Amino acid sequence: MTAELIAVFLGSTIRLAVPLLFAATGELVSERAGVVNMSLEGMMLMGAFAGAVGAALTGSPMLGLAAAILAVLPIAFVQAGLTNVLRANQIVTGIGINILVLGLTTLGYRQMFGERSRATIPGFDAWSTPLLSNLPVIGPLFQQIWLAWLGLAIICAVAYVLACTGLGISIRAAGEDPQAVAKSGANVTAVRHGAIIFTGVMAALGGAFLSIGDIHTFTEGMTNGAGYLAIVAVIFGNWRLWRTVFACLLFGAATALQFQLPALGVQIPNALLIMMPYLLAFLAVAGLVGRQTAPRALAQPFWP
Amino acid sequence: MSVASLSPSRPPLPASILRLLFPLGAVLAAFAVGMAVVVIMGVPLDKALFAFWRGAFGNAYAISASLNRAVALALVGVGFVIANRAGLTNVGGEGQIAVGGIASTALCLTPGMASLPLGLAFIIPMIGGALAGGMWGALAGLLRARAGANEVITTLLLSFIAIWLLYWSVQSESLLRQPMTNSATLPESLLIPDPTKAPLLTGSYASPVTIGLPILAVVAVIAALALRRSLFGFQLSAVGLNPVAAARAGIAVGSTMVVALFIAGALGGLAGALMLQGEQYSLKAGFSSGYGFDGLVVGLLARGSIVGVIAGALLFGFMRSGGISMEMAASVPSALVGILQGLIVLMIAGAAYYVDREAR
Repeated sequence: MTAELIAVFLGSTIRLAVPLLFAATGELVSERAGVVNMSLEGMMLMGAFAGAVGAALTGSPMLGLAAAILAVLPIAFVQAGLTNVLRANQIVTGIGINILVLGLTTLGYRQMFGERSRATIPGFDAWSTPLLSNLPVIGPLFQQIWLAWLGLAIICAVAYVLACTGLGISIRAAGEDPQAVAKSGANVTAVRHGAIIFTGVMAALGGAFLSIGDIHTFTEGMTNGAGYLAIVAVIFGNWRLWRTVFACLLFGAATALQFQLPALGVQIPNALLIMMPYLLAFLAVAGLVGRQTAPRALAQPFWP
Repeated sequence: MSVASLSPSRPPLPASILRLLFPLGAVLAAFAVGMAVVVIMGVPLDKALFAFWRGAFGNAYAISASLNRAVALALVGVGFVIANRAGLTNVGGEGQIAVGGIASTALCLTPGMASLPLGLAFIIPMIGGALAGGMWGALAGLLRARAGANEVITTLLLSFIAIWLLYWSVQSESLLRQPMTNSATLPESLLIPDPTKAPLLTGSYASPVTIGLPILAVVAVIAALALRRSLFGFQLSAVGLNPVAAARAGIAVGSTMVVALFIAGALGGLAGALMLQGEQYSLKAGFSSGYGFDGLVVGLLARGSIVGVIAGALLFGFMRSGGISMEMAASVPSALVGILQGLIVLMIAGAAYYVDREAR
């Protein structure tokens, strides 16, 4: 493999992993608080759509990003209300939201841009980190839009909050033993509401990265399972932050490989590479790779 | 003990009426939203409604297509209800349909299959599809029973694995892809031979209701009776309500779970075989196209009732057909149907707990 190919491979691994990193970090916080957010896919799709619409209407990708967050918040509120207040089944509500958002964004996009339009919209440009991006081979790693750096900062902040703060203990305990949290005087429902809203914002950023960060256009159903893949990363990461981050990078690399291998003349079926993240996660859950320890109260409604 | 059952205020509505009224209300509300969207889009409402009606019920062909769709959804839904009775949530319908379709295609295209007598040419691939789906489901059951792996996660992961297996098998000539004669050869399997196609009840392509409809009828009756009256149905409920107590009572909890997910998967696989042999006739990527998730939703909304599954499957089946026609004739994107389905799911799921409490 030549240095140039490695450089392209590293660059595209990061580019493909960033949306997953945003969404998976958000999902991790929800799941540690005891809520499975199956609506992650729908949240990302809405983020991608609203980001594209906002950027196209205002001409500013910054306002697009704001639109993405604003548009995903109502979804997070619906998800939070249904699961924490109405105690609805979390799997059902998630899938319902995903179906609804796929319909809404497809309809909305056709109304605004016409069928099959692939109009380019204003987006963020890659930002070359001074000095670092001139490095040989690993230079492209540092040619990312600033959102990628924001993602890194958020991940570090989440690591700190989860491990070292009282809030982090409340979040983790809400997913392990919510009754104990309630007895200690903290509000489990509030913690879970907050976790879901945080997940929504993160999913919005991840979705917006896809549309206005990466390819500068929107296509119908463009997340194409990225939200589910982010949930898979959390599972494969065994509900630990850094392992989840590693899983996202691994999944990004697997996806990047399918564009690289043909160039190298390596014949591996595409499908096998795309399947790899799911297969790895399946083996992990099946207990063939280490032991899985999900939060004990995961997906269980809380009764005060 | 809930608060409502202690307060002596007003007499509650009979449970069955409430459970029926609420979903009806949700469907009506969703349709009202849909009509509002059509009006906002500036499409004449009568034109859109007419196109929807014509696509769903307009003629024998439309009704048949809707019924075939409903059959596939209902099979997945019945499977969901059976596994759910044992406390298991089968999210893997999509993958079970996919492996059912793969197995059925492989068998249909097996040399000599088309010349088998007595209808075996189409029966064997159907059984093969069901067995493949069943094993895909049983795998999740086995992991749950042996390793304690959550079946929601494993069935979901197995779905994605199956979807990419399907993609792989129609991309690779050494698997099921048709021989590449030129660069324009599509990545799909050969058409299956006529004798392996699912027979049409009327024998005419003008009203192509397949043998799937009577198969579903038999499956539904057996499932309803078995859940209510049989020892197996009792074991499922016992495992679902309290696995520890069930084990104390001598029920083999693990194997009950495996069998429950095998049945759910087999019905998904059968749905896949029927979709292939009764409608599409060649395997393509995206073959399962959301039927698994729609079937899951149908099963969930039915809340344990086989009659509910049939009703939900008919609703979603006819809605899909109507939506496709609305897109072609009135240029209202069929995505609108997705919006309605999502709204129906959210309303029913959100009210489930309160409806149950009122009904108790």
